[in-house]
Amino acid sequence: MMGLLSLLRKLKTTPDREVRILLLGLDNAGKTTILKKMSSEDISHITPTQGFNIKSVQTSGFKLNVWDIGGQRKIRPYWRNYFDNTDVLIYVIDSSDKKRFEETSIELNELLQEDKLNGIPILIYANKQDLFNASPASEIAEGLHLPSIRDRSWQIQACSAISGEGLKEGLDWACKNIKPKK
Amino acid sequence: MLFIRNWMNLRDARNGEILWESKEDLSKPNREHEAKVPRDILKCRAVSREINFSSVQPMEKLRLEQKVLFQGKCLEEWYFVFGYVIPNSTNTWQSLIEAAPESQMMPADVLNGNLLIETKFYDDDLLLSTSRVRLFYI
Repeated sequence: MMGLLSLLRKLKTTPDREVRILLLGLDNAGKTTILKKMSSEDISHITPTQGFNIKSVQTSGFKLNVWDIGGQRKIRPYWRNYFDNTDVLIYVIDSSDKKRFEETSIELNELLQEDKLNGIPILIYANKQDLFNASPASEIAEGLHLPSIRDRSWQIQACSAISGEGLKEGLDWACKNIKPKK
Repeated sequence: MLFIRNWMNLRDARNGEILWESKEDLSKPNREHEAKVPRDILKCRAVSREINFSSVQPMEKLRLEQKVLFQGKCLEEWYFVFGYVIPNSTNTWQSLIEAAPESQMMPADVLNGNLLIETKFYDDDLLLSTSRVRLFYI
C-alpha cells in the first residue's frame, strides 16, 4: 500500500516542516480520485469538486497537506488563492481526452508563468492510462512542450488513478524534489 | 453569511474504510452529538477524520480548531488554516493521525463516552460554528 503516511515518513529528512502539495488540472482529470486513491479510499462515488478537498497528514511533528482544487472553468479563476507556500505542483491530465489537450495546455502554461509558483517543481500525472484511447505520456510531454521547461524541475508520470498504477512513482519523485525552505 | 457543516466521518486510514458517519447536521448549536463507533477503531494504527462544509459567501481567512478531549482534558489538537473559501463552494478537510502505540492506548471501557471531538470554524476571529461529537465505543 502506498499511503500518505509512508510518504510522510520519507519526508522526515526535512524536519519541522509543513509540506504543501497542490493538485490542479481541468475538471474530470481525476484529481480527487488520485487524492482518494492515495489513502486507499473508495473511489466509486466521486462527484465534481465544487471547492477544495484537503488531506492533512501528521506524524511525530511532520505535516503534509495535499490540496485538491476543483477544475471547472468557473472555479479556475480561484486557483491563485491557493498558490502560497506550495512546495510541489501536481498537474493532472486526462490522457484520453484529446479534445481538451489544447485547453489543458493553456491552463498549464498560465500556471508556469505565475510568480507565486516560480521555480516550484511540477509533476504531471498523465492519468487514465487504463483507457484504451489514452495517449502515452511521452506524446503528452511533447504536446505540452515540457522539454522546454528550464526554470524548474519537472516530471511526467503515466498513471491510472483507478488502478493506482504510477501514483507512487510520481509521489516518490515529488518527495525527492521538494526544496528545503529558505 | 451562510456556512453549513454537512457531514463528518471517521475512517480506518489504512484501508480508507468508513467506521462512522454523521447523518445529522452537526453544527446545530448547543447540542452534543453522539457517534457510536465500532470498538475495533481502537485497533487502527491510523484514523482519519473528515469534515464536509459549504459556504455561500466567499471567505478570506477560514480556519479551524479541532480538539480531542478526554474528560475535558485536551489530548490532541489541530489548527488548520484554509484561507480563502470560494463562494458557493463545498469543501472537505480530512486529517489523518497515527494512533498511540497499543500499549499506551486507553481501553475502550475507559474511553467510552469520555472522548469528545470539538470542532470550531472561524473566519479570521469570527466564530462561525462549533460542534461537539461524543464518542461511544460499541
